Amino acid sequence: MFRILKKSLKTGVVTGQHPDAIQPSKPLAPEVREKAAPFKRSLTIREVDTGSCNACEMEMNALTNPVYDVERFGIHIAASPRHADALVVTGPVTVNMERALKDVYKQTPDPKLVIALGDCAINCGVFKGSYAVTGPVERHIPVDVRIPGCPPRPVEILKALADIREKQQSSGK
Amino acid sequence: MTDRLSVEQQLQAAFPTLVPDPPSGNNMMRYRLDQARLPEIARYLHGQMHGRLALLFAVDGRPIAQTYELHYLFAVGSRQPWVLLTTELAGEHRLFTSITPSIHAAQWYEREIRDLFGLIPQGHPDLRRLIRHEHWPKGTHPLKKDFSWDTVMGRQQGNYRFRHIEGEGVFEVPVGPIHAGIIEPGHFRFSVAGEPIMQLEVRHFWKHRGVEKLFEQQLLTAAVPLAERVSGDTTIGHSLAYCQAVETLLRIDVPRRARYLRSLFLELERLHNHLGDVGAICNDTAYALPHAHCSRIKERLMQLNDRLTGSRFLRGVMCVGGVARDVDTKMLAETVNELNRIETDFSELESIIVANASLTDRLETTGVLTERTAWDHGVIGVVGRASGIDQDVRRDRPFAAYDEIPVNVALYRYGDVRARMRVRMDEIHESIRLIREIRHNIPTGPITGEPSRSPHHGEWALSAVEGWRGEILYVVMTGENGQIHRCKVRDPSFVNWPAIQWAVIGNIIPDFPLINKSFNLSYAGNDL
Repeated sequence: MFRILKKSLKTGVVTGQHPDAIQPSKPLAPEVREKAAPFKRSLTIREVDTGSCNACEMEMNALTNPVYDVERFGIHIAASPRHADALVVTGPVTVNMERALKDVYKQTPDPKLVIALGDCAINCGVFKGSYAVTGPVERHIPVDVRIPGCPPRPVEILKALADIREKQQSSGK
Repeated sequence: MTDRLSVEQQLQAAFPTLVPDPPSGNNMMRYRLDQARLPEIARYLHGQMHGRLALLFAVDGRPIAQTYELHYLFAVGSRQPWVLLTTELAGEHRLFTSITPSIHAAQWYEREIRDLFGLIPQGHPDLRRLIRHEHWPKGTHPLKKDFSWDTVMGRQQGNYRFRHIEGEGVFEVPVGPIHAGIIEPGHFRFSVAGEPIMQLEVRHFWKHRGVEKLFEQQLLTAAVPLAERVSGDTTIGHSLAYCQAVETLLRIDVPRRARYLRSLFLELERLHNHLGDVGAICNDTAYALPHAHCSRIKERLMQLNDRLTGSRFLRGVMCVGGVARDVDTKMLAETVNELNRIETDFSELESIIVANASLTDRLETTGVLTERTAWDHGVIGVVGRASGIDQDVRRDRPFAAYDEIPVNVALYRYGDVRARMRVRMDEIHESIRLIREIRHNIPTGPITGEPSRSPHHGEWALSAVEGWRGEILYVVMTGENGQIHRCKVRDPSFVNWPAIQWAVIGNIIPDFPLINKSFNLSYAGNDL
C-alpha cells in the first residue's frame, strides 16, 4: 500500500504531457455540426476495425492512457454499437468484414456519426485495389468526419474528437 | 561447417539416397524430393531429429514453369542451417499428400495452400475453408498466377461448419468478429458446460487484405512500406525481415552502423509492446493501477520513437540496404538516459505487481500451454519461451548486430499467464541492456549499402527476424525486371493462434480475455 502511494505521489499528474499536433485538423462541415448537435458535450464512440494493420487501434487505445485521458473531454468508448453515438472505423473494408461493418452501422441507434480514422479508412492506403478489399469506408456507409494519417497521432485524433464536441457548444447556444 | 555436416550426415545415414542441392547463400540445406518420399522424410526430421516445421508454402511457377512447388522448411537445433524440402506438382496435378496427420503444425499451412492455390492436401483431417470465408465464390484461389490481383469478387451463399459438442447442458457462446474492446476482429466459438470451456474454435481471416498478392505487384526495392503495414505494431520486425531477404538477393553488404541501428529500433519496438502487454494483462484482472502506469511509460517510449525518427511506430526507418535515418551521438545518449529513467520507473512498478497476491492468484495456473502442446504446434516467441521452448532467432541465427551483442534468452516452463508476463518483464530489462550495449559499441560509418548485382528470375531468399512476438519469416522470390514473383510472409501469430485453442481448455470464459491478452497475437499479421 505504501509502495503504491509512493509511486503515485512520485509520478504526479502526467495528463497533457505530449507534443502538439503537427497536422491541423480540418474544420467540421456545417451539416456534420448540425448532425452532432444532439450529443451536446459528450460523445460515446464505438471503434470498428475493418482490416487495418492495427496501428490505428494502438493509437485509439493510447487515447485512454493517463497522458491523453480522453474521458476528461466527455468522450467515452462503448463496448457495443448500441450504446454509441459515433462509429470510428479504421482500415480498408475487407471482403470478409463488409457485412460486419454494415451490421454494426445498422445496430447503432440514430442519430449517429461515422468517423473514418486513418488513411486506409479514407482511401484504402497501400491496400488499394486488392481483390480482398472492397473499397474505403464511404463506399459502404456515409462518412461524416475524416482523420487522415498513417496512423494519425493520438493528439490529432483527440483534437478531431474534441472539435466535434466543442463546436456543439458554440452552435448550441 | 561441422554443424552442417552433422545434420547432413544424420539425414544421409537414415536415407542413403538423399543428396542435397549445392549450398546457396541462404544458410540452408535443400533437398529436392519426389512427392512420394516427402512425408516419410518430413516425419523423420520432425520426430527423430526434433526439427520444428517453421514454414510450409507453395509457389506458382508460371509463367516460367508449368509447375507448383511446395516448400517445407524445418529448423533443426540452434545455430544449425535450415533444412528445406522441396517437391513439385507438375502439369494438371492438384493433389499432394498431407503431412498433418504426423506433423500437427502443418494443419493451417496446408489449409492455407488449399485456399490460396487450389492444391488439395490429401489425407488432411480438416478440409474446411480457412482464409476464403464461405461467401467467396467457388474456385477463387488468389495466389494462382492466372488470378488477377484486382479481381472484384462476387458473393455466394454458404455456411461454415463449426465443430459442435452435443450433450445435456452444453452451450455454445459465439464471440466476435467485432469485440467489446478496441481490438481487431476475429471470431471465437466456445463450447461450455457450466463454467469451464470444453472447446474453443478460432475462426479468423476477417482482415484478409491480400497482402501476399499485393507484394507481387511491387518492385523488390519498393515494397518496404507494404511490409511495414502487414502488422502495424511490428513495423520494424516486418520491414527488417523483408529488407534482409531483399539484401540477400541483391548481395548488399549492410554496413555495421546500420546493423547496430536496426537492432536498436527492433529493441525499441519490443520495449513499447511488452510494456503495453504487461499493463494490459494486469488490466484484464481488473487491476487498473499497473495498467495506468504501464500505458504511461509506453507513451513515453512512443514519444521517444517520435523524437528519434519522426514516427511513433518507427515507420519509414528501414530501407533496403540499411536504415533511412541515422541517430547521432547526442540522440543516442538521450535515448539511453530516458531508458535508464524508464527502467527505474518500471522496476518500482514491477515490485508492486509481483507483490500483489490476488493478482498472482489470477495469473498462476491460468491458460496453461504445456511444453508438449507447444512443441506439437511449433509455437514460437514469447509464448513458446513461457512454455519451455528455448528458441530465439537473435541467439539461434544472429542477424543485425546480434552476433556482436549476444542476447540472454528468458525462459520459463510453467506455460501459464504469469510465465508469459514474466518473460515479457525479463525481456524489457534485457532490451534496455542491449540498447546500452549498442550505444557503447556502435561504430561510425555509412548507414546504407549498395547492391552489387541484380538477381535472376526465380532466385529467392529467406530471412528470419525475432520480432517482439517471435520469429518472423519472409521468403522473397524475384520475378522479371526486379518485380517480386512471390513473397511469403509468416508472422508468429499464424503459428501461435491454433495453440490458444488448447491453452483455454478447462478455464472459465471470464479468463479468456486474460489468456488471449497474455498471448497478444496479431490478427492483421495472421490474416494477411
